[in-house]
Amino acid sequence: MSIDELALILVRGLGQGAIYALIGMSFNIVVNSSGILNFANGALLVLAGVLAYFILPATPDWTIWILAAVGIAACLFVFVSLQGVLTLFPLKSSVEQHSWLITTMAISVILSAGIHLYGGSLAFRVPSILPPVSVFGLSTPSAYFLLMALAVFWFVVIRWFHQKTFTGLAMSAIAQDLDAAKVAGISVKRIQLVAFGISGLVLATTGFVGAPVINISADTGIGYLLSGFTALVIGGLGSNLGAMVGGALVGVISMFAAYRFGGIYQDTVTMGLLIAVLMLRPEGIFGLAAARKV
Amino acid sequence: MKLTRRIFAALVATAMGAVAPALAQSDEPIKLGAFVPVTGAGALGEASLVAVELAVKQINEAGGIAGRQVQMTVADYQTDPTIGVGEANRLVHQVGIDMAVGPTYSQVTLAVLPLLSAAQIPSINVSGSSTITPAAGPYSFSMLPNAETQARAMVDNAASQFGAKKVAIFSDNGAQAKTAVAEIQKVLEEKGIELTGIQEYNYNSKDLTPQLLALRSGEPDAILLFTSTGDDTANVLLSRAQLNWDVNISGSYGVSLATQALAAGGPELFKNVIALNYAGFTYCKADGKPQKAIDLVEAVRAYKPGSADRYPMNFLALFYDSVFILKAAVEGNGGDTSGPAVAKWIVENISSFDGVNKGLAASAESHFLVGPEALSVVKPDTIDEYGIQERAGC
Repeated sequence: MSIDELALILVRGLGQGAIYALIGMSFNIVVNSSGILNFANGALLVLAGVLAYFILPATPDWTIWILAAVGIAACLFVFVSLQGVLTLFPLKSSVEQHSWLITTMAISVILSAGIHLYGGSLAFRVPSILPPVSVFGLSTPSAYFLLMALAVFWFVVIRWFHQKTFTGLAMSAIAQDLDAAKVAGISVKRIQLVAFGISGLVLATTGFVGAPVINISADTGIGYLLSGFTALVIGGLGSNLGAMVGGALVGVISMFAAYRFGGIYQDTVTMGLLIAVLMLRPEGIFGLAAARKV
Repeated sequence: MKLTRRIFAALVATAMGAVAPALAQSDEPIKLGAFVPVTGAGALGEASLVAVELAVKQINEAGGIAGRQVQMTVADYQTDPTIGVGEANRLVHQVGIDMAVGPTYSQVTLAVLPLLSAAQIPSINVSGSSTITPAAGPYSFSMLPNAETQARAMVDNAASQFGAKKVAIFSDNGAQAKTAVAEIQKVLEEKGIELTGIQEYNYNSKDLTPQLLALRSGEPDAILLFTSTGDDTANVLLSRAQLNWDVNISGSYGVSLATQALAAGGPELFKNVIALNYAGFTYCKADGKPQKAIDLVEAVRAYKPGSADRYPMNFLALFYDSVFILKAAVEGNGGDTSGPAVAKWIVENISSFDGVNKGLAASAESHFLVGPEALSVVKPDTIDEYGIQERAGC
């Protein structure tokens, strides 16, 4: 393998991996505060891309781009918070019931159907705000670099949020012990809704920034969901560092598998990696082994 | 006298009995099943549905088929063979369809054909796998060129247009593409052309640079590209452009679906690209553009003004023509909608069909209506506002 080929696989793999890492982090935010895995994350990512398609002009315009980013982020913050209401309402405060499985999947199905009905079944193509970057003479979409930067940005922001803000600390408290958090007077439902909203912000910015390299159509959300979830399980459920590392691993290995063995083996190799990690370390690379209740 | 009256009454009753089914039949609509993937993976369901709706509307406005109105029932198989079989059961046993058009995906077509054949329902699918033989579907025909026809033409075009001595194969992972890849390999061996590499991709994969990078290492003179959708064609050509690799491409029919690629990257994406298209949507400047294709496109625009520009019109024409072929066959048989009668008529008379697509042919051995004569080599980026493309050999 030549140096330019290696560079292409690494850069694009890390770019794709950044999408998976961001999906993984959006999973974490909600799962840490409520124990819920939001299976609508893939569809929400695609929804952000669809909104970008309808808002952004064909020729790049930074003013519109920034306004659109803020607008779409705000829309998804509200939308995913409302999804949180729908998901959490039947649970009261217990997460031992599993109605959230159905409500999150239902939102995913409804979103996909809505995108299909409104926009048809063809893929939406969103122009890039920046021109491609030359890497060893090969043209690389700038969106990959923006996604990598976005993944680092959200990793730092979420870390700061959990360590330095009252709401973030409350989320950490809920993640450690829900009942103790309640006894301490934390408004659990409100904190959980904020977590849903923040995960919406992460997905909105990912779908918007990554739109030029994300396949945006009604039926592609599930693929991104599975890849993001796989990355998270490899890295360790609940760990944002795990999501970052897992995303990068899945992205690069998937690209390398396509190059070395053929595109048809991308998923097989990724799943092989997942099984190998789970065999050696069931809690994931950075996951914490939980004490078993007896 | 009483006996004569009884005999007369019996004769009248017998005559009425014989005529009654015919009268009843003439009042009943012909039920047409439309297998189209309205939802699920795949990007062509909407165009297929519009094509069938438009054809049925035009036929009904013109008096129907053999004087009977046509009633359409949609079977949304979601590109899933299991769902396809469920939908076929519903159409055959609950709705009671008389004939059908679709499906598009070979794996779905292969799954539903036994049901249609057992009920002797004539159908025209838009699938290209060579495993769809007259034995598998005695009353079913296809409007898609089969994989073998395309494979042979793609290799011939790579050799004649680009002088290729070494080629690589790049295809999606659908059933039709797999058949085509196997056939391409056979033809390459026959012609002594070297195969430098084979790669596949999953539908809707956006970044295909790793696969193209692997193919590039074999230094082929041309890539034989087998895609099924315009979105995938755009993804391949964008990835090729990102590698700054202007390797020659001899494409399948899917590569002629140029609209999405043109929107994504402009005509320069199609540098050194040729593809196959239905002759009915091609022209040479000296001959002028095909009027039937233009008429269809204008009718679609009038029918669906908000979304017509999204549809690949050459693909849409396949479903549109399918309905009119069934109409011609039923009327040619004096109104008989049974599978054996319709199939016999199509085998014997399809060459006289005057639709958007011409040059159709069928035989007892092959029910693929689109043979080499109905296909042309085109420069995909020459696509005009009607979806018509200039032939490469003009």
